[in-house]
Amino acid sequence: MSTRQNGRLTYAYAVLHRGARPPAGLLGIGDAPVRTVAEGPLAALVSDVPAAEFDQPGVRDRLEDLTWLEATARAHRQVVDETAAEVGVLPLRLVTVYRDEDAVRAALAEHAERFERLLNRLDGRLEWGVRAYAQQAPDDRKPDDHRPGGGEDREPAEAESGREFLRRRLRDRKAEGAALHEADGLAREVHDALTRAAEHSRLHRPQDGRLAEAVAASGAPDAAGRAPASTRPAVTRGPNLLNGAYLVRREAAGTFAERVGELAARSPALRIELTGPWAPYSFTDLPDDEAGRSTS
Amino acid sequence: MTRRVELDEESVERDLVRLVLTVVELLHQLMERQALRRVEQGDLSEDQEERIGTTLMLLERRMDELCARYDVGRNELNLDLGPLGSLLPREEDR
Repeated sequence: MSTRQNGRLTYAYAVLHRGARPPAGLLGIGDAPVRTVAEGPLAALVSDVPAAEFDQPGVRDRLEDLTWLEATARAHRQVVDETAAEVGVLPLRLVTVYRDEDAVRAALAEHAERFERLLNRLDGRLEWGVRAYAQQAPDDRKPDDHRPGGGEDREPAEAESGREFLRRRLRDRKAEGAALHEADGLAREVHDALTRAAEHSRLHRPQDGRLAEAVAASGAPDAAGRAPASTRPAVTRGPNLLNGAYLVRREAAGTFAERVGELAARSPALRIELTGPWAPYSFTDLPDDEAGRSTS
Repeated sequence: MTRRVELDEESVERDLVRLVLTVVELLHQLMERQALRRVEQGDLSEDQEERIGTTLMLLERRMDELCARYDVGRNELNLDLGPLGSLLPREEDR
């Protein structure tokens, strides 16, 4: 059985090089102060968390408690992102918990080779997120939700025959399909262009539009734990066609952002959102054979 | 922890109306899709097209009226079927 120290466990956020200095005064989960635990050439960013919350099997139930999960994810991301802004980090999974500091050291020693390789690989790079949405085509089929006048006994301006109505619907439907198809092709081109501008790229699952809106409205971080943009425009977006993550050198961030801007200007059928910089969350599992390659 | 279920008569009625309208909207969309497919294939006579078109047009108008009367937005007419997605295609999937 685990020997708990005063009912505390040690929560690990990220791995860094031993010499790397994280920002001072970081606060983690439950506003606990964040410190480093070093072993060999590596160090882990950790803080104490209550065992009652984070011990097995209780934590399993907690993971289904969205409020708890959100608060935990937010604190986790904040520690990792703030550190990543200054030094190279290898983010650890959400809720990586050890019995005590000795267990953290043991883990660092055990995975030293892999951690070091990844850290060297990710050093000096940050992750940028790019999402592309189809621009919502103006849809004359759906009237406003609340039509003034209630529509009672209201005849349409021009009397349309049944056949004309069917033909119009057919045309609308085809136009919608064609527009979406075109936007999808454009999103692919954007991804290809950005992949060339980045060192690595990862495609994530496109987001459910309603979920994204709900998350943005609630002020919660999105599915990847990212904080919502503070100025979310209130336009209806079409489906999310591209949800990509791009690994970019710190010094190339400006060029990458410019590239995104160019692509956005060139693709009026898409609405493109750039977020970041983030710690390289999407790139913590680069395979061995990519370690020495500079471009893909 | 105690949880209270709050039943607000007005919201119950509105939810019921919304559910009924959702089912009607589902049938409406299925009918329309079938009709458009047949128009495309050209296996309807002009007369049939006119009748089906008029019916769908009237149904469309009636739905708007009902939605306006019960203060339900057309985009609220849907059911979340969890992992199966939604009953009707969502606005942004269209």
